[in-house]
Amino acid sequence: MIQFNALFSKEIKEAIRDKRALMAAFTMAFLAPVMIFVMSKMAIKEAVETPPAYVNISGGEYAPALMKHLADDNVFPMSEVEDADKVMWEKRNIEVFIPADFEESLLAGTSINVVLRADYGEKAHQSIIRRVRDSVYSYSRQIGYQRIMMRGIDVKLLRPINLAEQDTQKPSSNATFISLMLSIYLLFGAFFSGLSVAIDTSAGERERNVLEILLCQPVSTMKVVLAKLFAATTIALIGVVLTLILSTIAVGFVDLSQLGLTFNLDMKTAISLLILLIPICFFASALQLFFAFNAKTFKEAQSLVSIIIMLPGMIPFALSMMNDRPQWLDWAPISGQYLIMEDLFKGDPVGFGVLLVTGAFTVLMTVILVKVMAERLKSEKVVLALS
Amino acid sequence: MKKMWKSLFGICVAVGFISQSYAEPAPTKQQMMIEDCHVEGIRSQVRCGKLTVPENYNKPTDATLDVNFVVLPAHDNSKNNTPMMFLAGGPGQAAAQMASGILRMFSEVRKTRDIILVDQRGTGQSNGLQCNNFEDYDLYEDITDDMSSQDILDCLADFNVDLSHYNTTNAIRDFDALRDALSIEKIALYGGSYGTRAALVYMNMFPQHIESVVLDSVGPVEIQIGLFGQTGARSYQLLLENCQLDEACHQAFPNLDEEFQALIERVEAEPIRATVMHPTLGSPTEFVISRTKLISTLRLQLYFMQGRQFVPYVIHQAYLGNYLPLAGLVAQSGGDESGQIHAGLLFNILCSEDYPLVKQNQWQADADNNFGRNEAQKNWHLACGVWPTYEVEREYFKPVTADIPTLIMSGKLDPVTPPSYGDITDKTLPNSRHIVVKNASHIVVSSPCAIDLVNEFLTNKDPQAIDDTCLVEIEDERFITHVNGSN
Repeated sequence: MIQFNALFSKEIKEAIRDKRALMAAFTMAFLAPVMIFVMSKMAIKEAVETPPAYVNISGGEYAPALMKHLADDNVFPMSEVEDADKVMWEKRNIEVFIPADFEESLLAGTSINVVLRADYGEKAHQSIIRRVRDSVYSYSRQIGYQRIMMRGIDVKLLRPINLAEQDTQKPSSNATFISLMLSIYLLFGAFFSGLSVAIDTSAGERERNVLEILLCQPVSTMKVVLAKLFAATTIALIGVVLTLILSTIAVGFVDLSQLGLTFNLDMKTAISLLILLIPICFFASALQLFFAFNAKTFKEAQSLVSIIIMLPGMIPFALSMMNDRPQWLDWAPISGQYLIMEDLFKGDPVGFGVLLVTGAFTVLMTVILVKVMAERLKSEKVVLALS
Repeated sequence: MKKMWKSLFGICVAVGFISQSYAEPAPTKQQMMIEDCHVEGIRSQVRCGKLTVPENYNKPTDATLDVNFVVLPAHDNSKNNTPMMFLAGGPGQAAAQMASGILRMFSEVRKTRDIILVDQRGTGQSNGLQCNNFEDYDLYEDITDDMSSQDILDCLADFNVDLSHYNTTNAIRDFDALRDALSIEKIALYGGSYGTRAALVYMNMFPQHIESVVLDSVGPVEIQIGLFGQTGARSYQLLLENCQLDEACHQAFPNLDEEFQALIERVEAEPIRATVMHPTLGSPTEFVISRTKLISTLRLQLYFMQGRQFVPYVIHQAYLGNYLPLAGLVAQSGGDESGQIHAGLLFNILCSEDYPLVKQNQWQADADNNFGRNEAQKNWHLACGVWPTYEVEREYFKPVTADIPTLIMSGKLDPVTPPSYGDITDKTLPNSRHIVVKNASHIVVSSPCAIDLVNEFLTNKDPQAIDDTCLVEIEDERFITHVNGSN
């Protein structure tokens, strides 16, 4: 134990010696809240506001009531656009054509052909196109109902089936888009924060010939590996906790009530998150050490480990594309933790057992990695990176 | 008071079901049960519950009754904002049954605060007092003019509860018990129509438990509910004026009032019998139009803006002998059970709390009008003549002076609670403001501008500080002038 302590304090000292590098390691913790804040603001703006849309309407004078209906839905003719936005709206060029015989056809009860023309592929156009379409349809339906009723027909006949939809989602769900972002950032934090320590303590020390000296001492390779793992994990964990705290504070500055949403992290969720993320921090550091030790040079180690930190981004993305995912993904490292975090934020009950099984599985993988590393470090070839 | 006539005349009222599932525990006194559930018309889960209260608050150990309620939980679960209790109209509307409609109107409010909907005792699933025998009337073939006091007695015979406890003050005690059971120290109230009367009584009974109040279409304690003749005629008069001001309406119906009066004379002579295609079944049927049916159908349209737009066209066509548009309106009034009035509770409350206070000459003066005549009061006389009465706790029906921030709203075109009623309540309240919405009828919050004002008021609790500029943009009333629509 004394040997381990000495090794561990040596690793920690080295890790925190370079303050600038350490701050860089915590970038994720500072970046995540900023990203969450900015993205939330944008999401709220898009969801809450129905900003006025300006459409090139020709023949508006033939259908004043329709024009009023559109205006009620915040859709206006191009003539009302303010000069500052004029160029943008003219470029979008969403057009509506109202025929001259609009009123004649309306009174005659024949169909009126109104044309909506735009570039449907442009993302910025889609919500406007949908609004114009919905507005015209609702106006059309309203007239249809009136015509039926004034002919002495029960308007309820137009709705033979009333589909009552019932959503079983818990009503108290947190703002999903924020919790999804936070989940991914936390996983990133676990992989990113310990990264520099993991590379430096393995591939770095090898190039500085420190590793060789270390292994010449009368300590087991297992203790050396464990000390390095714990040091990297400690930094990773600090990064994760920092991400969690700063993000929660940042979310407090976003007025989610506009969306009718809320985000709060109670003690229970926070503790569950930590229980969930501690094994992941160990796993991430072990994986990084493993690849760094296996690399021949510092440069190679950097490249290999950089690929590893893409995992927490790729795995959740892959999961979101899968509708029917195999059971083992519930336990596998990263995917298991990600799925549990999703449930935690949604307010769905998360069993202690699931938490335990996923954690145990991750720990098991970490142990195997550590064992292999300790074994391999006994070989001169690995220590000196000889081929 | 909204839509009261359609249920009063027993127009095809099927009891509305709310798809809730209850795991019923054995009820003990003052016990509350609450759980997640789905209610009709709302996709997301809400909370449903029952509170067991004494039937008679003076004898809390005797019979009990389960008060049904629904909570629309705020999206924002921070619980920062005071919950709002919705007090329904009628008397006799069941708030929980109207959940989906209320949510549509109050979606902005619900984002940040819970909305509590209670079935007032005697409505909905809180021992709803429905006159089932009224349902046998056919919308088209039957006329309700020959309803007799025997029908009322038959209805009364169905009830096996002590009706004297089904009054406004006990309903308020239930509401306040629920507030307490939900651990809400102070609550925000929204009352619409008769719900404003309930809110005013609540303010007299438990002022210390109320944070703020919204009174929408006020039934002041100083005015008896039931005198709808003059107010209805006023609303009709405004419709005539607005039609004259509207170019298209004026051109299409230059002699609207003359035609209406001629139509009344026609039905007064004898009920019209027209063979029409049954609006729902499509088979030939006899559409019988008495004066009562004509007036009550048109009067109902005056309550809401979508209904008002049809009135000139329907009158004109009926005058010309085409009764199909009228049949279309009658068809529309049937079958919508969510806002139905529980006639048993309606009569029970009004026959004790309001009817006895109206003097004979007031009834006569009210009937002297050019629109509804005495139609609105005929059923009061019929029902209240035989309905048992109870002792009213009059001390709670005094003009309200409680110092609670209050926003009062009236629709200018309202046929039952005109803006002058709002003024009466506004006068006695120390911290209130009365806002009249130009192009609105009964229940003002159905307009988007008004609901914004309510939301702002509930947040700031200062009626004077409300920014009411959106009222200016409200457009004039418009009407249907052609069977295929208006441009």
